Amino acid sequence: MQSLIVLVLVTTISFIIIRSAPGDPFSYESPNVSPAVRQQLRHQYGYDRPLLEQYVRYMSSVARGDLGYSIARHEPVTQSLAAALPNTLLLMGVALALSFVVGIGLGATQAAWKDSWFDRATSTVLLFFYSLPDFWLALAILLGLTYWLPLFPPGGTIDLVMHDYLPFWGRVGDRLKHLVLPVMTLVLLIAAAIARYQRAAMLEVLPLDFVRTARAKGLPERRVLARHALRNALLPVVTLLGLVLPSMVGGTVFVEKIFTWPGMGLLTVNAIDARDYDLVLAGVIVGGVMVAIGNFLSDLLYAVVDPRLRD
Amino acid sequence: MRTFRVSLLGVALVAACTTTDKTTSSGETGGTMVVAMPEPSNGLPPFIETGADRMVVDLLYDRLADMDTTLQTIGDKGFHGELARSWDWAPDSMSIAFHLDPRARWHDGQPVTAKDVKFSYDVFKDATVAPNVAPLITNLDSVTVRDSMTAVIWFHRRSPEQFYDGVYQVWIMPEHQLGAIPRAQLRTSEAVKHPIGSDRFKLARWETGQRIELIADTANYRGRAKLDRVIMRPITDFDAGVTQLFTGDADFFELLLPQYLPRVDSSKTVKAVPYPGFGYTFMGMNLNDPKSLKRPHPIFGDHATRLALSMAVDRKAMLQNVYGTNGKISYGPFPKSVVVADTALQLPPYDQARAKALLDSQGWKPGADGIRVKGGRRLEFGLVVPTSSRSRMTYAVLLQEAFKNVGAKVNIEQLDLNTFGQRQETRQFDAAMISYNTDPSPSGFKQTWSSSGIGKGGSNRVGYSNPKFDAMLDSSLASYDAAKAKQYASRAFQIEIDDAPGIWLYDVLNIAGAHKRLHITGLRADGWWNNLADWTIPANERIDRDRIPLNAGAR
Repeated sequence: MQSLIVLVLVTTISFIIIRSAPGDPFSYESPNVSPAVRQQLRHQYGYDRPLLEQYVRYMSSVARGDLGYSIARHEPVTQSLAAALPNTLLLMGVALALSFVVGIGLGATQAAWKDSWFDRATSTVLLFFYSLPDFWLALAILLGLTYWLPLFPPGGTIDLVMHDYLPFWGRVGDRLKHLVLPVMTLVLLIAAAIARYQRAAMLEVLPLDFVRTARAKGLPERRVLARHALRNALLPVVTLLGLVLPSMVGGTVFVEKIFTWPGMGLLTVNAIDARDYDLVLAGVIVGGVMVAIGNFLSDLLYAVVDPRLRD
Repeated sequence: MRTFRVSLLGVALVAACTTTDKTTSSGETGGTMVVAMPEPSNGLPPFIETGADRMVVDLLYDRLADMDTTLQTIGDKGFHGELARSWDWAPDSMSIAFHLDPRARWHDGQPVTAKDVKFSYDVFKDATVAPNVAPLITNLDSVTVRDSMTAVIWFHRRSPEQFYDGVYQVWIMPEHQLGAIPRAQLRTSEAVKHPIGSDRFKLARWETGQRIELIADTANYRGRAKLDRVIMRPITDFDAGVTQLFTGDADFFELLLPQYLPRVDSSKTVKAVPYPGFGYTFMGMNLNDPKSLKRPHPIFGDHATRLALSMAVDRKAMLQNVYGTNGKISYGPFPKSVVVADTALQLPPYDQARAKALLDSQGWKPGADGIRVKGGRRLEFGLVVPTSSRSRMTYAVLLQEAFKNVGAKVNIEQLDLNTFGQRQETRQFDAAMISYNTDPSPSGFKQTWSSSGIGKGGSNRVGYSNPKFDAMLDSSLASYDAAKAKQYASRAFQIEIDDAPGIWLYDVLNIAGAHKRLHITGLRADGWWNNLADWTIPANERIDRDRIPLNAGAR
């Protein structure tokens, strides 16, 4: 319910902002188009009606499951979303999973080897990535690993020309190769943050009595760290999922644009440029839903990791 | 560059070598070209909204006749038939009968008939359906069907560009596919996503926002396209587009900025391909006060002040700064490639001392901070510039510096393209970095510079108005003699240059990046793609993707 209210609020604010921005879907057509024709087109799509009426119409159609029509793409918004959403979910899903695995692993290892050369070196590297703007990192990776060192394809989800002619495993490999750079960009950005949290959490847990007891029982150090310390240090990091998702939704906008990944980010940016109102709002709604789901999953995971909550 | 070990390559190669037929053009056929497009194309006729839309439409659909590379718009000498095999003028020149090529077929095999021609003109004349085209064909009265292979275009009045008006702006669409759909529903109809054209390429695959794949129509009445396949892929991030070109993932990118040219020089696979265009850029000075367009602008309303500001600008040095040796200086309010262009007109010279003296004489006296003041008003104005154009942004900064040297302060306002467009449309700016892209026809100058182009329906953004200019331009447009038309246009342009409503900076530089294996021919200023069907990739230069069988992509 709380999520629904937030979603309605976000949609409302976005509706007002995009309608307040200069221009509309017909404002930057050719100068050949006379104001009368522009007005007629605006009338046809109802953009000349009072803002409140447009808002009520829009919200009621959204409530009925109709997200509107994309003027720039000449298709229903749901059709655009159906094409873009799976790509974003794939990108975000893989990036999120890898970010947590890498971030937790690195953070825990750093804490275990506190003040060692490994800790210092990785802390510096992580801080470097943590402080980088996402679009800059994406561009640097694009240039570095596609042009200077041509190891990966520069964009898209598949090789548009050759994909259909590859054998099955070739097609799988092609998809994976195209996934590497956008995922790498997101992982470098997010894992850095997670590792910092994980390191701090581990350092809080390691001096505690139950860890000392585990060591005193003669358990191997690896087991002490993995089974006793890390498990307890995971709690604050798991809650990060809810925080990471919104920034990831934002980050994918740049990553998708630079790697020409045909997902929600690219779709929304193009829609903003074209003042494609319905598509912009649909992008906001989908982003909001993803964040809400992320929060829900975060709560769920918290219960899984912390047995006290299950009781 | 990445290479794929394709198990089917041998089979594909054999298939590619056997894709010949009776209508094969002379020369080599085959090959795949991947185009990185700077914007997505979502529109098909009659909904042509962007340059990318126009490109796709040009490649899929035929006109009755098309222009030669001379781009001469007066009379019909500069045209060759496409769907029309020949045409006859009525004795009074009020109509032209077009005789269709009986071999012409739609991509679904149906014959192209005069009914298709009538249908297409009726649709394009409807401003609510084709808002970009309808205003350009107002001289067309109607189209009648004389017989199944003869369509007659009737005009409201005789004019030198009557033929151009009649054929250039309208692509012929299949009545049997679109005719039954109500006009109001045409835009949202699924049919427009499944175009059936008659040109030398036909649609193989359309994935909105991801790719448009065209393949050669091997049975085309004008001969098959020499390339087997063209894949157009929108890459809206400029750097990503350039990177794809250099990594070999794209074969053609139409917007290569000068700073990338050294990389081209050292590239083994990419070449720079300059091509003509109709774009020109200038700093437009709003002659009216944006607060009330009925009043003259407090600064630019004065001719001497505009002239002084023009003389403060070293256009050649700026061009060198932004474009190096590749830039093309502007010769006035027109691009050099338009038929009436005159490169011998007298522009205000670069002379800062004279500029200062002129400002002094107009009462603009230097204030304490060096900025001139007249009657309590500082010589300070805003300059709007779209963030989408790096060169215009750079120019804005250079202009700011140049004006500062003569005591004028410029406040640069960077706007996104949509906002920039709206501010131009409503004339809410002091000065603007404007870039116009004209049609081949000089009649476009009427919209952009004549008094009738101010306000409703026009695009005279700065509000320039001079009856002498209007008269000369009208004389030019009314002339049936190309030499006289040019003479009148030159006089009109000189009048405008002397009035100084803008500072003429540069012609838009068109340099594409292309893979070296592409053999490019017939680049035209009205669209680099217009002779794409004749581009080739020689057999000995082909790479893996060139060997894909011709009909493999069709779905």
